[in-house]
Amino acid sequence: MRKGFIFNAGKCVKCTSCSAACRLYNGWEVNPRNIYTYNEKVLPDIPLVNVSLACNHCEDPACMNGCPSGAFFRDNESGAVLIDQERCLGCRYCLWNCPYDAPKFDEKKKIIVKCNLCHSLNNGSLPACSTACPTGALSYGELKGSGEIGWFPRGTLDPAISFIGNTAPVALKVSPPGLFSREDGSILKVDIKPEWSLVLFSFFAMMSVATQVASFFRGIFPGNALFIQIALAAIISFFHLGRPFKAIKSLKNIRHSPLSREILFFLLFSILSLTATVMQSAGFAIAALVSGLILLVVIDSVYARPGRKILLHSGQTFLSGLLLVSYFTNSLLPLTFMVLVKTILTARQLILSEFRGTASGARFVRGAVLLICWAGLISGFARPGFAVTLIIVSSEFVDRILFYIDFEPENIRRNIANNINTINNEKKRG
Amino acid sequence: MEEFITACPRNCYSTCTFRVRVDCNRISAILPFSGNRATPAGPCIKGLSYIERTHSEKRIINPLRKSTDGSFERISLGLALEIIADKLTYFRQEYGPHSILWYKGSGMSGLTNDIGSEFWKAFGGATTTYGNLCWPAGLEAVRLTLGSVKHNVPWDLVNAKTIILWGKNPAETNIQEIAFISDAREKGCKVICIDPLRTPTADKADFLYSPVPGTDAALALAVARVLIDKDMIDKDFIGKHVSGFEEFRSSLTITPAIAASITGIPEDDIISLASMIGSVKPVTIIPGYGLQRHLNGGQTVRSILALAIITGNIGKEGAGFNYANLQSYIYDDPKEPLCYYPDQKKDAPFRRTISMARLGADMLNATDPVLKAAWIERGNPLLQSPDSFNVRTAFKQLEFRVVVDQFMTDTAREADIILPAKDIFEQSDIIGSYWSPYVQFKPKILDPPGEVIPETEIYYRLSGKVGMSTIGSDKIPPPGNENIEKWLEKRIEGYSFLSLDDLRNGPVLAPGLQQIAYSDLKFETGSGRIELLSNEAEYKWGAARLPEYVPLPETDKYPLVLLTPNAANRIHSQFGNLDIINDSTPGPALHISQTDARTRRISDGTRIRVFNDHGEIVSTACISARIPAGVVVLHNGIWLEEGGGGNMLIAGRETDMGHGAAFHDNRVDVKPADRK
Repeated sequence: MRKGFIFNAGKCVKCTSCSAACRLYNGWEVNPRNIYTYNEKVLPDIPLVNVSLACNHCEDPACMNGCPSGAFFRDNESGAVLIDQERCLGCRYCLWNCPYDAPKFDEKKKIIVKCNLCHSLNNGSLPACSTACPTGALSYGELKGSGEIGWFPRGTLDPAISFIGNTAPVALKVSPPGLFSREDGSILKVDIKPEWSLVLFSFFAMMSVATQVASFFRGIFPGNALFIQIALAAIISFFHLGRPFKAIKSLKNIRHSPLSREILFFLLFSILSLTATVMQSAGFAIAALVSGLILLVVIDSVYARPGRKILLHSGQTFLSGLLLVSYFTNSLLPLTFMVLVKTILTARQLILSEFRGTASGARFVRGAVLLICWAGLISGFARPGFAVTLIIVSSEFVDRILFYIDFEPENIRRNIANNINTINNEKKRG
Repeated sequence: MEEFITACPRNCYSTCTFRVRVDCNRISAILPFSGNRATPAGPCIKGLSYIERTHSEKRIINPLRKSTDGSFERISLGLALEIIADKLTYFRQEYGPHSILWYKGSGMSGLTNDIGSEFWKAFGGATTTYGNLCWPAGLEAVRLTLGSVKHNVPWDLVNAKTIILWGKNPAETNIQEIAFISDAREKGCKVICIDPLRTPTADKADFLYSPVPGTDAALALAVARVLIDKDMIDKDFIGKHVSGFEEFRSSLTITPAIAASITGIPEDDIISLASMIGSVKPVTIIPGYGLQRHLNGGQTVRSILALAIITGNIGKEGAGFNYANLQSYIYDDPKEPLCYYPDQKKDAPFRRTISMARLGADMLNATDPVLKAAWIERGNPLLQSPDSFNVRTAFKQLEFRVVVDQFMTDTAREADIILPAKDIFEQSDIIGSYWSPYVQFKPKILDPPGEVIPETEIYYRLSGKVGMSTIGSDKIPPPGNENIEKWLEKRIEGYSFLSLDDLRNGPVLAPGLQQIAYSDLKFETGSGRIELLSNEAEYKWGAARLPEYVPLPETDKYPLVLLTPNAANRIHSQFGNLDIINDSTPGPALHISQTDARTRRISDGTRIRVFNDHGEIVSTACISARIPAGVVVLHNGIWLEEGGGGNMLIAGRETDMGHGAAFHDNRVDVKPADRK
């Protein structure tokens, strides 16, 4: 029988013994075990449920599949998904890929820490968290029961966790009614802040591809601009890593990890385009063009894996790349097509976000700027030149930032927030 | 590495048994011990924190003396005892032994604590306290009614069909009880919370009835009336075992409509609450201690207890009134709560007593002799006593103060001499529990650090210095844990079936235990029956003979009721100084409803002043949907360096019976700190 954590939410009162025990027994600064509370604000008419989670040691672990350095591995004896900290680059891609927040980034050591089932300490006994639980809410053993918690992300990961007891409690009935009412108009949001290094890397990588491709169609070899863009992208991505000097290990998981492939194609593109320029070789230029376009697709796939909703976004590097190429080559028909595509996608995002928040304002302005530039170019009022280029490139940069704001890797905290928001919205309407 | 079985001796329901691993005189792991049926999954996070607490760098491990500039300097144990002995001898000679206050709190339980009183008896006496800050109004209410204070074993709760948590919050104060509640619920049991606050325990319940604080008796008596009117009572049980029922019935003037206006709970809800209590059996009512920390606390508990009685929910599986289970307190003589009363003490003549609840005023008002010195152990009265401003003033007026403690508490800071106290692993002892039915042994498994010696040894060494060298080793055992164990063995001699060796293997069910309390239907009252009508209530306490709702004194000067319940993951002022606790527990704050915060322009995190005529403290606001309008919560045990607890704002008053402290009858107002 498969083993894993067994959790009875009816017995969890968020005493935090489990997470304290985890920290204590492993001597960690960060805490791989957290307690997630559904309805943390104690809103009336919504049940309150605590779930203690560390790693669920999934059958098909997203952390392991996505890891560019192949630092995750499975311990055959315990079935635990473990991390080889020597191999970890500190790229934090697993933080996006795991919907349970199981990997934690140790800011001091700049590497990932995660639940190891206390295997190295306990030698066949039970994980410290499970023995520390004073109510028996959390235990470890053969998985049993088929209880499901609605907002618990399962996907295709097949996590090794069972829920027992009452998994769908009803809300507390309070008398006098309304005594503990709380107005709360705020929308719960789980912020995964745009990481500037990634915004910049992906933007410069896109710019360098666009420059290379446009130059090819214009029959010229790009100059220093290309070198500067590539250098900036390389430096930024290098220092984004927790352990930059292990960067070479990022190519260890090309078969499974989009991130590995991103690095591979970035290197390939850089070498080919630089060689093409230095050798003034059309053959290398074609190869650079192909690898560059693949690179953009691969960059977009890095985000599409953890956050499926981002599959169609106007800030994707592939779309931005094509738009810039059509602008740089002054091809009005393709430009019109790209502007149309981007405008539709922007409108879609505006509708999805219900026109709320500062991001929506930025989205609207950006959409308008793009349309005005396009109208100017089509009508002949504006000519390609430094000012227009600056406006269009900046506008693409803004779109890239918006992409990061809209990027929502699947995550238990977000599931909880979305679930509560939906209930609140329904209450307001009905 | 060695492994031992021990138990947690804090002032807590659970009294968990746990296994502890020791490596080179250090605790390396705290693990559950499944042999205790009440706490099979092990201790809470406070228990886990012993791994830090015992070896904490914050621990005081050498005697300290206050210098003239107010700082503390380390002195040798010999010198510290010399100074103390000189002072004690001086005060005894000049002003008499009653000029010295011996104050002991509930910081660590155990039989060896009795050794202190042997010292003070032989010393010639001392001023001590009567009463208790925690629970005596309720204890007395139960004793007056049922004759003794006990309840079913904790694991019997799974047999209940309805559980009423009336003012108790086990999710934060008795975590292991949640497991039994949850198991009962899985079997279809309805869980009802009655509490002015929406505690985390209510998150595990089906219903929450939330009366205005201090009006629980009105709710209970209205429910009683509905039960009787609708004939949902156990007439057979009443006829056989209850005295005073007819008087009780005719005294019930509070209708659900009247109760609705008093408690704020709608009439229909009171009627449906009564139906839930009366229509399904068995019902276990679990009152908390907060509801009896009111001026009407004893009568409140009697009123609620009446519901269990008239529905026949006494002496049966899954039923009962789980106020406290003193069945493991086999060594107490007299048993609680009698031991709190000045006139019931065997050793009364040697003592002068002052009220625990009115400590500050009584200390200041003590004459003939005036108090000159204080000895504080296992307690932190400067923070934890009501009216703490006066307690501090009285303490400052003394000429000499000794505090025995493990940490630099707010009381220790005011000491002239601090003696380092032992931790739980540093001396053998025997403990009972007021919830689980076990007698437990707590072995010595560590050598104390620095110059820490157990209190018994402090007293032994002092006795030689204050002219008591002839005191017998039966009274104060000489140093060495083997002597303590000999002394403990002697204490349990009377129980031939209970030896220290038995206890070493784990907890032992208390001799004579009734797993189902009162299953013999014998009640140790004057009449041998359950006394709904109690003459003793009248002559001893001046209370009504029948349970009644006594409205709290009206005051409209300050609008908000201040409640100071226990904080999660602390026990009073203990544990709040540990990283393990603070890393995962929200910090201290004044919890306030959104309504009251809005009208005062307070938002989450605003620095605020909390004030009334007693004083003022500064805290941080936490707007919480667990708090109703008109109530604010400041958990007790918040150290002064964290902003302080609510006792600065609380009057020193006794409860209606039992000499308890009425902590929860105070009102305050709150304003942003930057506004006058």
